[in-house]
Amino acid sequence: MTFIVTDACVKCKLMDCVEVCPVDCFYEGENCLVIHPEECIDCGICEPECPIEAIKPDDEDTPEQFWLGVNTKYSEIWPNITRKGISPADADEYRDEKDKFERYFSEKPGNTD
Amino acid sequence: MSIGMSQEKTVGSATLLELQSMAEARKLFLQRVTWVHHWTNGLFSFRIERPDSFRFRSGEFVMIGLKDGERPLLRAYSIVSPNWEEHLEFFSVKVPEGPLTSRLQHLKVGDYLFLSKKPTGTLVTDALKPGKRLFMIGTGTGLAPLLSVLRDTETHEKFDEIIITHTVREEQELAYRNFLEEEIHADEIFGELLRDRFTYYPTVTRGEFRTRGRITERIQLGDFAKDLGLIGNRFNPQTARVMVCGSMAFNKDMASMLEEHGLKEGSNSSPGSFVIERAFVG
Repeated sequence: MTFIVTDACVKCKLMDCVEVCPVDCFYEGENCLVIHPEECIDCGICEPECPIEAIKPDDEDTPEQFWLGVNTKYSEIWPNITRKGISPADADEYRDEKDKFERYFSEKPGNTD
Repeated sequence: MSIGMSQEKTVGSATLLELQSMAEARKLFLQRVTWVHHWTNGLFSFRIERPDSFRFRSGEFVMIGLKDGERPLLRAYSIVSPNWEEHLEFFSVKVPEGPLTSRLQHLKVGDYLFLSKKPTGTLVTDALKPGKRLFMIGTGTGLAPLLSVLRDTETHEKFDEIIITHTVREEQELAYRNFLEEEIHADEIFGELLRDRFTYYPTVTRGEFRTRGRITERIQLGDFAKDLGLIGNRFNPQTARVMVCGSMAFNKDMASMLEEHGLKEGSNSSPGSFVIERAFVG
């Protein structure tokens, strides 16, 4: 089991999770984060830290394990992030929007670290 | 023994030099074991030296472990020591088939352990809003972080009263009982600080004991409130703050009870009226 970053993170990228992760298993894209499923130790501490509930245990993934796939793929490509960076200025505007992945997800890497 | 010779000393199957280079490559500390104490056949505690640069908040956990082939084998452990102590103490189960604990149980003074550089956790007073009474509810080795929080003077500045409950199967598993019943009251600083403000409440689920049964049941049935002289058997969301550390199933039961009483879970980014240690294993 692992924890996964899901749709709510896209365009918000608040990064409170990064500060508490004991094994620094978050990886950073331009407009969202992912967890490396093999590095995550399943401690669960990041889940309640996320103010927008973007992090979930993987047993709450879609039946096709869509988010596990996204987390696995991009944690191999993007750079590691070990400290909270600056969230997008317009993060608040996208907070309650649904299905952001399809509309806004960027494959480009982030650059906080 | 000269320094040169001690470098060649073998620790388990690895030399100290091998351990040092692995620690460096993985950005871990390599710390010497200074004390080991076995409580029962299934429970033990141990201490390692604390690196000068290692800072943590009382109640946090950290990764510790041993060399396992070409990589370190690490697990999350709550720190028993308060944040001012010079060593780091841990409290562990011994699981015969556990990849780490099956080896850890053979630790001796002078052995070395890996220690990660990033302690973290939610079982900290920072994640709780101000309140009057701090209830710390632990089962098994979940007592560990509660012992840390208890001995942080900041805890006593924030709360008027502190209650630690510890539930185990058999009476002999009440590790740290003598410390909580006797030693801490004789302590120069804490003896005074805790006078009339601290209650240790052990419960045992198997065998004869004055306070028998699961803590969740004792709370629900009102025994807990009666024993402590509290009014009503519900936690008051205005004044009660709760830290929970036990097995996954126990944490879940406690969380739903507390939510039903109107308490809200807190985190570092948004303090609340109770916190749960999710990283606890065993």
